[in-house]
Amino acid sequence: MSKTDLLSVIPIFILTSAAILILFSIAVKRNHKVIYLITTVSLAADFIYIALFSAKTKWIIEPLFIIDGFGTFNTGLILLSALAVSMISYAYFEQREERKEEYYILLILATLGAVVLVISKHFISLFLGLEILSVSLYAMITYLRKRERSDEAGIKYLILAAFSSAFLLFGMALVYASAGSMEFSGIAKHLASSSSMSPVVFAGLGLMTVGIGFKLGVVPFHMWTADVYEGAPAPVTAYIATVSKGGMMALLVRFFVVIDGYRYTALMMAFAVIAIASMFIGNFLALRQNNVKRILAYSSISHVGYILVAFLAGGTLGVQAVTFYLVAYFITTIGAFGILATLSDRDRDAEMREDYKGLFWARPWTAAIFTAMLLSLAGIPLTAGFIGKFYIVAAGVGNGQWLLVLMLAVNSAIGLYYYIKIIATMFEPYEKERPSDQLYPSIYIVSGVTMAVLTLLLVWIGTNPSGIMDLIQAFVRLN
Amino acid sequence: MDDVPIESGLVLASILFILGMIGVLTRRNIIFMLISVEIMLNAAGLAFIVAGAKWAQADGQVMFIFILTMAAAEVSVGLALILQIYHQLKTLDSDAASKMNG
Repeated sequence: MSKTDLLSVIPIFILTSAAILILFSIAVKRNHKVIYLITTVSLAADFIYIALFSAKTKWIIEPLFIIDGFGTFNTGLILLSALAVSMISYAYFEQREERKEEYYILLILATLGAVVLVISKHFISLFLGLEILSVSLYAMITYLRKRERSDEAGIKYLILAAFSSAFLLFGMALVYASAGSMEFSGIAKHLASSSSMSPVVFAGLGLMTVGIGFKLGVVPFHMWTADVYEGAPAPVTAYIATVSKGGMMALLVRFFVVIDGYRYTALMMAFAVIAIASMFIGNFLALRQNNVKRILAYSSISHVGYILVAFLAGGTLGVQAVTFYLVAYFITTIGAFGILATLSDRDRDAEMREDYKGLFWARPWTAAIFTAMLLSLAGIPLTAGFIGKFYIVAAGVGNGQWLLVLMLAVNSAIGLYYYIKIIATMFEPYEKERPSDQLYPSIYIVSGVTMAVLTLLLVWIGTNPSGIMDLIQAFVRLN
Repeated sequence: MDDVPIESGLVLASILFILGMIGVLTRRNIIFMLISVEIMLNAAGLAFIVAGAKWAQADGQVMFIFILTMAAAEVSVGLALILQIYHQLKTLDSDAASKMNG
């Protein structure tokens, strides 16, 4: 292993050593504050290392990893999201759980898995990264053991994630059987050698699509999303919605660009159908919901559909649009679930729409931040979500994907309805006498500051997108 | 290995995979669902070994070892969860574990 090899995997080393350090420090003494500090400091240090020292040139560690601009940018994004999630988690778990320290080990390991996922260029590293991420998530989803719904959500996610992993693996095996290589570039070479796809490779890629579709939670593989979102603790839900789905999306983009999947019309048609179905079914299911967590779950299905529109457009512009949308979506989703977590009390999460009744009069700042997040999800101008959609439309139009762009526009209008409905609930008059089942949250400064920073980022990106877009253009190039 | 064609190995793996899939979809007991998922994972492992043998590479077997490791990790978390569920619901029927409907 050369010196540059070693330097370029330091982000991974920092994460593993942080996990081991936390294990040891729990063995010595359980102290939530110390563990929390180790977590945040190591995540922040990791991000700073990437920001300062990562070269924008491509560096390949044969045969498993490729550290290029795209991978580095997504690594940074994942680290920052994990940092934001751990900020929300502190207050959330401080109130609820006796043994809260192990959560941070799982959080760091899941982040490690996602980082490995976005820099992998080989089936083995893909599989390992994905499984480190998934197995940590099973435990994170069920972390609050006293809630019965969290067990249910955990076992549902476990069975379905293992089920989809099996599909992914079998697809990989079929591709390997006919390509003779598990490296993305080797598969690309095999595919380029013949003009048409052999049935075995086609079946393999189809099965892999099923596996990836499950992890992304797109229609028709979406049934786990709502239950898992509802049953998991709010910070964990934020983590699944952002890091887990975003990492998978980045991997999908890399795999498709390398093997040049855009040549195959059948595959593209399949993804176009998945994208349109996800947008419509996600939005229609959200319309009928009263549970805010489930609304956000269904809306995440349609948001992945939007991202797939940019993904299908392809080319440098398409990949940059995907990355930008991921940034906007990460900020918004973590913000929304962060508010949900701060409003929750010891017994249950603030997930019913009635919990938000009159919030604007009771707690104007919280309500304002939540409104900003929801407007960004709906794609209203001056927010990051709007700019994200703008770039997706630009990528789609640039490539002549008129049908997909039209569907995106229709769905944005449908989506507006249920976001506005939540906002309207917050403006309803506030009842003075509190009913007994109302929530009694306690406020923590850490969460408040995180929320404020996220909101500022949201508005800053929404009003001044060129800064972040320049950054993305500097990092994300196809070659 | 010369007299066994690669295709028969892949067909065997596919049959195992489909059997496991049918198991997951039809069984109602959570432990049996977990076992069926394991069968699917092992079918994928078998397919990797067959493919590795075809190309005379060790990669297929390396992947199989990773699949075994991951399946073990998954089962340990899964069984812990199943214990917890049995503790709360006093049954392992997966229909009982569906409080959430939307």
